[in-house]
Amino acid sequence: MPTPYEPATHGRPPPGLGPEPGPDAGGYALPPGAPPAPAGGARPERAPRPPLVRARSRGWTPGVSAAVARHLGISVRAVRLGFVLLTIAGGAGIAAYVFLWALTPEEDLTIDPAAGAPAQPLPERRQWGVVIAVGVVLLVVGAVLVTPAVGGSGLGSVLVPLFTIAVGAIVAWSNLDDAQRSRWLGSGAGRYGWMRVALGAGLTVAGILVLVTRGASVSAAWDALLAAVAVLVGALIIAAPWALRLWGDLRREQVAAARATERADIAAHLHDSVLQTLALIQRQSGDAAAVTRLARAQERELRSWLYDGPQGSQSTLAAAVTEVAHDVEDVHGVPVDLVVTGDRPYEPHGAALTQAMREALVNAVRHGRPPVTAYVEIGPDGVEAFVRDRGDGFDLDAVPTDRLGVRQSVLGRMERHGGTARVRRRDDGTEVELRLPPLDGGA
Amino acid sequence: MGPQTTTAGGTAAGPVRVVLVDDHRMFRTGVRAELTDAMAAGGVPVCEFVGEAPDVDTAVAVIRAERPDVVLLDVHLPGGSGNGGVDVIHGCFGVETPTGAPVRFLALSVSDAAEDVIAVIRAGARGYVTKTIGARDLITAIRRVADGDAVFSPRLAGFVLDAFGAAAGEIAEVDEELDRLSAREREVMRLIARGYQYKEVAKELFISVKTVETHVSSVLRKLQLSSRHELTAWAMGRRLL
Repeated sequence: MPTPYEPATHGRPPPGLGPEPGPDAGGYALPPGAPPAPAGGARPERAPRPPLVRARSRGWTPGVSAAVARHLGISVRAVRLGFVLLTIAGGAGIAAYVFLWALTPEEDLTIDPAAGAPAQPLPERRQWGVVIAVGVVLLVVGAVLVTPAVGGSGLGSVLVPLFTIAVGAIVAWSNLDDAQRSRWLGSGAGRYGWMRVALGAGLTVAGILVLVTRGASVSAAWDALLAAVAVLVGALIIAAPWALRLWGDLRREQVAAARATERADIAAHLHDSVLQTLALIQRQSGDAAAVTRLARAQERELRSWLYDGPQGSQSTLAAAVTEVAHDVEDVHGVPVDLVVTGDRPYEPHGAALTQAMREALVNAVRHGRPPVTAYVEIGPDGVEAFVRDRGDGFDLDAVPTDRLGVRQSVLGRMERHGGTARVRRRDDGTEVELRLPPLDGGA
Repeated sequence: MGPQTTTAGGTAAGPVRVVLVDDHRMFRTGVRAELTDAMAAGGVPVCEFVGEAPDVDTAVAVIRAERPDVVLLDVHLPGGSGNGGVDVIHGCFGVETPTGAPVRFLALSVSDAAEDVIAVIRAGARGYVTKTIGARDLITAIRRVADGDAVFSPRLAGFVLDAFGAAAGEIAEVDEELDRLSAREREVMRLIARGYQYKEVAKELFISVKTVETHVSSVLRKLQLSSRHELTAWAMGRRLL
């Protein structure tokens, strides 16, 4: 007996079977343009390192240091120290940090403490404490730089706006991380996101204005602001058609990509099911019974994939009897034509009927001649199931004991659940009738 | 017997002239061979193949030219306005056989989808059988459709019981009601769903085969004319209304 065919997948194939590109193909190496990773100066090697990705929602820093540390396999502390040293030595650290932040993809990672990263984010109160402390320090530094009395006016009037611009940009960009998650503010923390974008943009614009109008009067600054807004509006008007077209192209591309994915899914499914079965059939072309069974099983599988959608839980009586019929078909290689009307939840009585029906079907395919037909009607007046074969008919008194036993198990089972079972001998075959009363409380 | 067919009165005398419409050449060849073998074994040439077509437009042309008694029609076909067999039936509206009877359609499909079946039936097909049907049963079905009767597969009977709420106990007060089945029609449908032949149905219900045919035809009429919600929803799904 050849090995029974097992459908490879029942529902849709799992994602990833299709030829989609890997999600983070770029994450395995440092992005182009990024300076060499600081600590140790060693370029990361491709082979066994974890990908360079940032963990999502890891506290109030974007998690660049942790990502680099995980990627290089060194401690976070060392990476941070490296950044700080590089920053002091001419500011390269800040540039490296920002580049890495901008270009490292973000993913949901389960952080293991062994990676050397602090596993738990700071408690909320301490977080706020840190924020306030940093703010106070920055204010003091800014005040010192700007106040002429202390002698830092020249440098301060450049540094403070620059710093403001940087902070504004960071605040606005930091939203991108979340936006990737919530698809451009489409859902979730949208309002908060907009606030951050507005705050960041405001800070940046203010910084630029202060920088440009350094030393000029307030009215001059106002004029500059108006001019800037006018230019912006003009640019928007000019750019709008292009932007719209670009947006349209993007949408079209997305739709095309979705279609391609769908097609890839279908191709993957057909490959896993139909093509495999066809190959099996070619190999077993001498065995008519095996070919029939393979073809039938494949037909059923494909049919359910095409018309029923993804397979849900078999929690209804109709689904249960269908499954039983398919099982019998698979095991015995005889087609069973099943028709089911109506449905109701799967409960113990229904389960008993399903079991009894399995016995009847097995009987029919073993002793009768195909076609074996089964009809199950599930209605408010109860459940009726009919299993019919086209055997030559048999003498009830002369049946072998095993068959009698089966019949009693069918009968007994139905009676225990308040139903009835009847075996009718017809001119051309046998028909088993199973009946269940309506569910309590049913109409 | 072939040359007599054009003059055969009605459908009872000569072989039934059949056009086979299916987009798979292998399937067309298979059906022809199977039916020819079965008829050779039976000794009576019940039907004669006068043409075949692989798509909607060819089918309409062939049917208009040959004016056959019965068209074996696949539900899914290329061409036309994309509705397959439904387009063929619409395209052949009003075509009559040489003897004045309308050209009748028997849907032959692998599809189990309710909307496909209901769509061709509502477009005017006289019956629906699945492609796994045996040769002898198919010959009987062709003969029956040629005589103007309806042919229901067990699965179509199941659909009907579901669609008319008959399985849930809805029964027409008067037989003429289009949205429900009468008690007798429900019984007939239930027996067909159980895999009974018309002959067996008749025996079971102590009625004549002719009466069974009448009931089935009446169900077919209701299926085509009813405005019952489930039916119209299915038909809407195929943009038929």
